[in-house]
Amino acid sequence: MNEFPNIEESESASGGGIAQLADHLFRHEAGKLVSVLTGIFGIDRLQLAEDVVQEALVKALQTWPYYGVPKNPAAWLTQTAKNLALDLIRRENLFSKKQPQIIAFIEQWANECSPDDSPAFDSEIRDRRLQLMFACCHPLIPQESQTALALKTLCGFSPAEIATAFLTSEAAIAKRLVRARQRIRELNVPFEIPSGEESAARIDGVLQTLYLLFNEGYKASSGDNLVREELCREAIRLTTNLAAHPVGNHPRVHALLALMLLNGARLHTRIDMAGNILRLKEQDRSLWDRSMIARGMFHLAHSAAGEAITEYHLQAGIAACHCTALDYDSTDWPRILCLYDRLVELDGSPVVALNRAVAMAQVHGPQAGIDAVENIPNRDSLGTYYLLYAVQAEFESQLNNHATAAMHLRKALELAGLKSEQSLLSKRLRDCQEQDSCSRA
Amino acid sequence: MSTEKSDYLLLFRGTNWDKGMSPEQIQKVVTDWYAWFDRLKREGRCSGGHPLQSSGKIVSGKNRAVADGPFAESKETIGGYFYLHVADEAEAVAIAQLCPGLDYGVVVEVRPVAEMCSVRERAVTGGIMAKEISLETAGGR
Repeated sequence: MNEFPNIEESESASGGGIAQLADHLFRHEAGKLVSVLTGIFGIDRLQLAEDVVQEALVKALQTWPYYGVPKNPAAWLTQTAKNLALDLIRRENLFSKKQPQIIAFIEQWANECSPDDSPAFDSEIRDRRLQLMFACCHPLIPQESQTALALKTLCGFSPAEIATAFLTSEAAIAKRLVRARQRIRELNVPFEIPSGEESAARIDGVLQTLYLLFNEGYKASSGDNLVREELCREAIRLTTNLAAHPVGNHPRVHALLALMLLNGARLHTRIDMAGNILRLKEQDRSLWDRSMIARGMFHLAHSAAGEAITEYHLQAGIAACHCTALDYDSTDWPRILCLYDRLVELDGSPVVALNRAVAMAQVHGPQAGIDAVENIPNRDSLGTYYLLYAVQAEFESQLNNHATAAMHLRKALELAGLKSEQSLLSKRLRDCQEQDSCSRA
Repeated sequence: MSTEKSDYLLLFRGTNWDKGMSPEQIQKVVTDWYAWFDRLKREGRCSGGHPLQSSGKIVSGKNRAVADGPFAESKETIGGYFYLHVADEAEAVAIAQLCPGLDYGVVVEVRPVAEMCSVRERAVTGGIMAKEISLETAGGR
């Protein structure tokens, strides 16, 4: 007879006793440690820094389960990474010329990162992370490799996780990472925070990558929800880092951060419990993240300091209109339309023009929306974009042209990739067909 | 109610199973594994366990040759063990099936701890029988 308690039952009775690690602690510590070690080894040894950090995490995996979680897990990981780095340098006789200096530096690092992290070291870490950010986003590295490398080195994502986020294979991501590290070596990309004239252009490169990162997480068309939310969060974290540093204290950096925060605040309300997409007018506004909105408005105010207006400013302004509206109907649509008018001038993308058409319809009625869609320059390139047809369907049904609306919805259904998108469209199609038969009867 | 308990060792095999794991996954396995070990100890079903370093020596042969163990590369290497105190093999196996490393390629070996070396056991039993036989013979006399 088995008298032992059933494992599942005893679970609830077992209670606490287990030191809870902070969410994403390993991931965030990995990002920090890779930055600091890259500062020590040199950017051409980026892979070595990544390997040492991985080994430190594995050491935790091998010992903590048996001996418990140390009181200060982050300090333990730092100390372990430091010891591994010292072993490696001594054993392999790497950096023969600079070895004494490097060892001296690592030992000093050890002292400074003792139990309570000194503020001096915090700012050192912050600078290292920015240096690594600028290196990853160097303009001569292909864009797709930049985002992958930033996620791998700064945010501690594995190639498999990056592949999930970008809907591609792990092998493809691994290849991008190898190529990016190769480019860094070949081009002698410096490990520094650029200054002087160069810095403006380099900051633009970093912002573009951060924007892509955020967008990849934000767009509803692909990938796993949880991973996507993480991408948004990481993009916000890195941009916050940049904005807090003197070199990144630029109106456009604040504008990008505002745009991320104001959109990010609504992210979790876009999908209901059953995984269905909720449109803006259906979202529960009381669930929007107030503190993120407040931070977003703060950075939006800071973004107004300069003369230049960027796409980030305009997009942040649009997001702010939505966040501050009490409900869908009282949204300041004329202001949004005005912002879209200017955005279209800066960004000729037909997707932006399609969004402008929605604002147009809100202000001037559905027929104005239909006309705006018809006048989208380069509209052909939207031919396979399901939202083009979904938007047109919305306008037509507002005009009670239910048969035309249904035709557009069927086209949208053919093109929609996600189940949640398809179920939303099917529901709208059923509504349309009902209305249509009612109006015929 | 049966109170008879037996001892089992869980041996965790495989050393390179963490390759390609992300920091996020490593953190999860660390906490899961610790929670598992901690609970077994509190329930009195596990009296201890240790991780093993992947370095070491192999001693073999008549001339007592000593070689460095190529442990780090071997999938067969034992990375750690638990010492279990349970009712029977089924319970030990049920515990092993909850190992958080299984998803990542860890292999768990469940081995009963023999109460006494079976060869010696046989020898001792044989001895007793011999003794009894001899007593009988003696008594018969």
